[in-house]
Amino acid sequence: MRRLRAWLLRFSGMFQRRRRDQDLTEELEGHLRMHIDDNLRTGMTPEEARRHALIRLGGIESIKEDYRDRRGLPLLEGLVRDLRFAFRTLRRNPGFSLIVIITLALGIGANAAIFSAVYGVLLRPLPYQDGGQLVVLHQQAPAAHLSNVPFSVPEIFDYRQYSHTLNAVVEYHSMDFLLLGNDSAERVKSGIVSANFFDALGVRPLLGRTFVAADDSPNADAVIVLSYQYWQRHEGGEANIVGRVYQMNDRPHTVIGVLPPIPQYPEENDIYLPTSACPFRSSPKVIADRSMRMMTAFGRIKPGIPLASAQADLAVVANQMANQHPDSYPKEYGYALAADPLKQDLTRHARTTLLVLLGAAGFVLLIACANVANLQLARLLTRGRELAVRAALGASRARIIRQLLTETILLSFTGGALGLALAYPTLTLLVRFAARFTTRAAEVRIDPMVLVFTLAVSVISGLVFGLVPALSLGSRVSDALKQDSGQTTSSSGRQRLRTGLVLMQVAVSFILLIGAGLMIRSFLRLEQVDPGFNPDHVLVLNLSPNYSRFPKDEQQAETLLLGDNVLRALRSLAAVESVGMTSTFPLGQGTMARGPDSNRFQIEGRVVSQGELQPFTDATGVSPGYFETIRQPLMRGRMFSERDDGKAPNVAIINQTMVRHRWPAQDPIGKRISFDGGKTWITIVGIVGDAREYGLDHAIGDEVYVPMKQAGFSGGLVVRTAIDPEQMVSLVRKTIHDVDSQIAVDQVDTLERLRHESVASSRVTAILLGIFAGLALLISVSGIAGIMALSVSQRTRELGIRMALGQPKPSVVFMVVRQGLVIAMAGTVLGLAGAGALGRLLSSLLYETSPTDVLTFVAVSLIFVAVAALSCFVPAHRVTRIDPFAALRQE
Amino acid sequence: MTDKTDVWQGTLSLMVLKTLDTMGPLHGYGIARRIEQISGDLLSVNYGTLYPSLLKLEQEGYVTSEWGVSDNNRRAKYYRLTRTGRKQLEKEAEQWGQATAILARFLSPEEKPI
Repeated sequence: MRRLRAWLLRFSGMFQRRRRDQDLTEELEGHLRMHIDDNLRTGMTPEEARRHALIRLGGIESIKEDYRDRRGLPLLEGLVRDLRFAFRTLRRNPGFSLIVIITLALGIGANAAIFSAVYGVLLRPLPYQDGGQLVVLHQQAPAAHLSNVPFSVPEIFDYRQYSHTLNAVVEYHSMDFLLLGNDSAERVKSGIVSANFFDALGVRPLLGRTFVAADDSPNADAVIVLSYQYWQRHEGGEANIVGRVYQMNDRPHTVIGVLPPIPQYPEENDIYLPTSACPFRSSPKVIADRSMRMMTAFGRIKPGIPLASAQADLAVVANQMANQHPDSYPKEYGYALAADPLKQDLTRHARTTLLVLLGAAGFVLLIACANVANLQLARLLTRGRELAVRAALGASRARIIRQLLTETILLSFTGGALGLALAYPTLTLLVRFAARFTTRAAEVRIDPMVLVFTLAVSVISGLVFGLVPALSLGSRVSDALKQDSGQTTSSSGRQRLRTGLVLMQVAVSFILLIGAGLMIRSFLRLEQVDPGFNPDHVLVLNLSPNYSRFPKDEQQAETLLLGDNVLRALRSLAAVESVGMTSTFPLGQGTMARGPDSNRFQIEGRVVSQGELQPFTDATGVSPGYFETIRQPLMRGRMFSERDDGKAPNVAIINQTMVRHRWPAQDPIGKRISFDGGKTWITIVGIVGDAREYGLDHAIGDEVYVPMKQAGFSGGLVVRTAIDPEQMVSLVRKTIHDVDSQIAVDQVDTLERLRHESVASSRVTAILLGIFAGLALLISVSGIAGIMALSVSQRTRELGIRMALGQPKPSVVFMVVRQGLVIAMAGTVLGLAGAGALGRLLSSLLYETSPTDVLTFVAVSLIFVAVAALSCFVPAHRVTRIDPFAALRQE
Repeated sequence: MTDKTDVWQGTLSLMVLKTLDTMGPLHGYGIARRIEQISGDLLSVNYGTLYPSLLKLEQEGYVTSEWGVSDNNRRAKYYRLTRTGRKQLEKEAEQWGQATAILARFLSPEEKPI
């Protein structure tokens, strides 16, 4: 408190300096007079009295100086003075200042933008109460290569009951339901959750309430909670929404609450229902069947319990379950339970990419700083005399360095502010980019943390590019005074420093170029992957008929009939070449999320021995016309026809990979497989080409296709059109609704766009790295050019003499160019070493591209050397304009 | 050098406070002479160093100052101890007492072990 008061007084002491100085002078004069009076009284002569008094007082000027320092805040006063001076100096050199500010703005802006993504996704605490205590449970079967087996209801009940370290175990799964309006139907994505879901996550409703235990019981009225987004979009943010009734699944559902606008986990849903309101989840079979696994489970660790203890505790429960129910946990699968922090789980896919990008942005800034440091060094050469005069007038080396640092930090702050302004508009793009990896992307924004980061980066870069040149000032700055006017020579030490800085820039930008080159090559590989079907001119969309309209036992037949009618109506359209239906779209979001190998099967006549794994495959139900529509080629046998219906024998078509895996030396046609332990057998009638349904970078697995009329209806529709499929959307929609107005149509897309989208993250990563590498190259090239130009202007006399003595011009030019090329080459060699290390970091992001891909390395090196040579040649060319005689006379 | 001045500044402040406590309001010259008298000629420092110290004490609120006229009719700035200054003096004096007692015991000839 007392301190603060003193500081405030000192702050105010910075003002009214003249009056206060006068005050002190008067006080000291009074002091002297009184002392002289006393001395005279002791009998001294007047001169002696005065001399004695002055000596005892001490140096008046130094007292005044001490007094002033104590009175104000010398550091702050100095800073204000330095800032004023720096501002004047920089304004006198607008070209230099502008280049520095722009270079830094690009570097700092890139870092601020990427950091805001890194912070929002990886670092920021989850927007839940004590989000650090939330864990995601995963069942794993390592022996069967399954890392994320969903949970069944009995399993979730067991974990809830027997774990000692979890406060709560919540269950979640998502389903699509049809919301019926007066004469329309709309599909809503519904999160089906246990009653404790929102409480465990610590989410408080914006309106109304969330679920309580009573809502989640078999006889409870069906209630729903709306997501903020759905409430805004479909109800216009209606304030009196609580109590509204929706017709869904053949029963009324009452809205009890609205969620706040926070990102939803694990996925974005339109509405939420308690498990008892889901017709599927509440069926006795699902509740009782331990092997009916389709839920996600989260837990909240009790306060104070470390993650490891919770993991150990859950492992014990898993073990007990496996012992009690050996049928549901076959020994050969090696079932185990893993619990990961929710945050880690949500951001797993984004981590490497974001960190690589942050590293790249950091490199760009490093290069920018090195470049600016070099500019500053060059400028110090011409300012040598100014600094020398200051030194000669008594400024200490530290004082001069402080002045120089004030200038650079002023520059870096301006650059930082501009950088932030540049980063802001790129944020929406970054959010869209990050959304491909994690739902946390919605939390990316410029917030105080990002501002602090930008500020810190600005200060650090100002210090880096200011301190390096400033420290290079010799301890005897005043030596510069002895030099000729205008003639600026530099010590070999400073020359080495400049060369070193350029070398570093060259090496780092080479590393970045290699990184970008590898990503681009990987992306091109991915683009060239043959998906095994032709996505061009194919419209895809999802149909959801109103199942509840049909009696339960006729649902199957009615929906299949409806599907037939839709197909027939679409086929009759002129611009439609062919149509088909499927249970999953290739490269569709749902397909990619589910992944392959979801069904166990057995092959007739092959006995699986004890302890051996049963084979897995994926099974897709498709209608006749599906393969033709997406142009997945038939290799052998036959396609499905209209005759392959529920009354006909069960048949299947398999892909070539499955043939290679299961029947390498036999003809699979006519062989039989079973998905239900041998109760029904399915005969293989055809073989189709491999299609990459789970992502172009995904290895192809075994695939079984069965006729939709034998597998059951599902609403994935594919339409091959003669014209641009985008133009067909409204006609197709209308045709479907002409068949039945209660069919909801959504997920409308083109297959080509799905393909495009499936490689988008790879493309954007490559583009971003490419931009960073391009920036780095540009900055380094200007660095090389700068050092060359400086060297030429310093050597004008020497070069003039050489030419006067008869050295041919091309030879002189070559001599100069060689100097720059040597730096570029040395930097490239250094960069090669660094690129090896970067490649290892990148390898998880690369598709079928070795981190030491020879073509990339050779191509990048060639481009790099060519650009470097060009940047050397342009300034070196100025040599040819030197007039030898003028150069000689120059002094 | 710096350490020595810091110690000097600290002790000087204490001496100033004590002087103002015993003598009542006094000008800088008077304070300087008084300190010199009390300390004998052991402390021979420039009188001038007193003024930054006085300013510091004033900023900290331990003394106040106002212009007045001396016995010899000279204009002078008079310093006066404030209430917080008196409290500070008591506190610091006590601390000094303790510190010197401890040091004295340390530096005195070793006593017999108990």
